[in-house]
Amino acid sequence: MKPIFLPEVENNPQPSPTTDLIRAAQSAGTEYPQIWHLFAYRAQATANLGAFTQEMMRGECPLSPGIRELIAAFTSYGNDCPF
Amino acid sequence: MPHIQLSEGLPGIRGLFAFRPETAKPLCELAEVLLHTPGTLSLAERELIATYVSSENDCYYCQTAHGAIAACHLEGNEKLVLNVKRDFEHAAVSEKLKSLLAIAGKVQRGGKNVQAGDVERARRQGATDQEIHDTVLIAAAFCMYNRYVDGLATWAPPDPASYRERAAKVARDGYQGIPADVQAAEAGRT
Repeated sequence: MKPIFLPEVENNPQPSPTTDLIRAAQSAGTEYPQIWHLFAYRAQATANLGAFTQEMMRGECPLSPGIRELIAAFTSYGNDCPF
Repeated sequence: MPHIQLSEGLPGIRGLFAFRPETAKPLCELAEVLLHTPGTLSLAERELIATYVSSENDCYYCQTAHGAIAACHLEGNEKLVLNVKRDFEHAAVSEKLKSLLAIAGKVQRGGKNVQAGDVERARRQGATDQEIHDTVLIAAAFCMYNRYVDGLATWAPPDPASYRERAAKVARDGYQGIPADVQAAEAGRT
């Protein structure tokens, strides 16, 4: 994988579940989505983003989780973001 | 008129926060981390980045609300806020902030527009990786907030002067109290 633009971000993961995921993927030699580096770097912001995403995608709502993921996938496709 | 039934009198994102308090809380906490937590970028610089992105997204409520907060952090210098929105490369801000605003503008047009050269320019002006990271996250988050506010056609007070009083409160106290604030306003009406 190519390094991301900001080495300090890539090399300074804070203690978090995402950091454990990165370590596991690295030691197994498998590729992983590099958004994990962003999640691991700014754990406080990430926790809020995670809480928001959880509520949006799984909170009480007449739209099923499957439909909500389809909306997210469709928007990401429109934004040309494969991940 | 908003596309969905929102409580009257709460402008912009505040009407949406009242509509959906569960998502309001993490959104406000994110704004608190990005815009009101001490760091090497000043609060004025952070608000200017948010204001500039909102202006590029043509979001009247966000650019006016955050522009007023930025001015509070700049001893009331509303002219500077306007100059940053119009042409930041010639505004009276540091070369470092100009390089970060350039990155924010590219994120606004689409994340893939940010090139290694843009990051290099910011580094040459002394920006740290954390500052570049936070710039990109502020820009990306405001694209979300702007689309949220305009995608539901929320109402915004037209007079920029009417934003000043609230801006002073947010500049001082930050964003975390907003969900409670909105709930109180809501309760006061019913």
